[in-house]
Amino acid sequence: MHSAYAGEMWYIATVFFQPKTLAEALQHKADLRQGGIFIAGGTDLVVLMNHGKEAPEHLIDLSHIQSLTEIRPRDGLIELGGNVTFAQCARLPVQCLSQAALSVGGPGIREIGTLAGNLATASPAGDGSTALLALDAELELRTARGMRRLRLTDFFLDYRKTALRPDEMITKVFIPANYQTAWAKAGKRGAVNISVAAAAAALTPERRVRIALASVAPTPIRCNGAEEFLSITGLNRESILRATELVQVEVKPITDHRASADYKVHLSSVLVRRVLERLASL
Amino acid sequence: MKKRTSGKSPGSKRLQNAEQLWPLRFTLNGRKVQARVKPTQTLLDFLRLELELTGTKGACLEGECGSCYVLVDGRPMNSCLVLAPQVQDRKVLTIEGVSRGDKPDVIQQKFIECGAVQCGYCTPGLIMAAEALLARNPRPTREEFRGTSAGAQATTRYCALSKRQRTRWG
Repeated sequence: MHSAYAGEMWYIATVFFQPKTLAEALQHKADLRQGGIFIAGGTDLVVLMNHGKEAPEHLIDLSHIQSLTEIRPRDGLIELGGNVTFAQCARLPVQCLSQAALSVGGPGIREIGTLAGNLATASPAGDGSTALLALDAELELRTARGMRRLRLTDFFLDYRKTALRPDEMITKVFIPANYQTAWAKAGKRGAVNISVAAAAAALTPERRVRIALASVAPTPIRCNGAEEFLSITGLNRESILRATELVQVEVKPITDHRASADYKVHLSSVLVRRVLERLASL
Repeated sequence: MKKRTSGKSPGSKRLQNAEQLWPLRFTLNGRKVQARVKPTQTLLDFLRLELELTGTKGACLEGECGSCYVLVDGRPMNSCLVLAPQVQDRKVLTIEGVSRGDKPDVIQQKFIECGAVQCGYCTPGLIMAAEALLARNPRPTREEFRGTSAGAQATTRYCALSKRQRTRWG
């Protein structure tokens, strides 16, 4: 049908699968080897297709796999299925994740876009990814043959590169239910807003601090130096100020159409101060 | 769709699969619809080009402007980002399904009374966003309207409509 001959070029048709179960989806992916692309929400992929930058050979649509849309409490953790949307995340009692989810796109995007898709796309500006990073999230990755668990801190490798293997799917995300968290984002307008920089922070029950930042490095990052410093000093006015200085050294932003590198460095320390002050109730 | 630049012959395996059309079944504005669709066609294109329901508008095609809003199972979605086969077995409501015959529904009537249009192109999207918000929350506060729900799109919407896009979508 769309293999119409157009001058020197051939248009490529796409073969579409819509599995109802996870096992079917994974089997399709294994059978197609490199050829199949999973599409969950499609808020990244369909934009590329609309603009003629992507023409997938085989699409495996995950939108009709019911088991992936569930949210369940389990052993002190919250288990989020791979198809859980930002709209669902926005209703969770975990503040940094719900606020991050609410800051993604508009209401329509939030109903379509999924958390696992946000991770797999691995945009450095991924709001969901950043909130999950501060939460020490753990992923369940499945293939037709098996399953492994991976800490999110080991997931992002480089700009839009992840530890996800070619035939793997992010089937579950586990987050702790008992962390105290905060979220701050700076963008250019009030809605449908990509982060110029964003910060998530979490305080574990053992009073250890976790800090994650978006848009200031090739991937969303954790600020290990500042975290370690704060775990020794605890959260108070002086230590927070010192931590924001450490953060400035840890970020590696680039100048782009959203802001200059210098401004993003400044912004990171401001946002980190805001989230830490909120955690410390200062 | 990406143009093919390699010299593969039309008889290759990839093109033998080319005839696949997706047998789509869904409910549109209360009516059951069956059609065979290109699997990469967006819901927006399917509604406008195949079903000739041109009330839903397209502009940015990247989920920014919201003029393509439809409700899928009652939830607002940018139809430019949803592939037509993804609404299989779902209930879709477009701007055409909002009014009762020639009689505008409450939200449409209020839009008319308030003159709530700028150029008017994205008004169907605004109305669908408002329908979604009020269906879930009949009495939203100003804050809820602005910050947390469909109103974010409606109040701080940025207009993505360039002259080129107006020409393309008529």
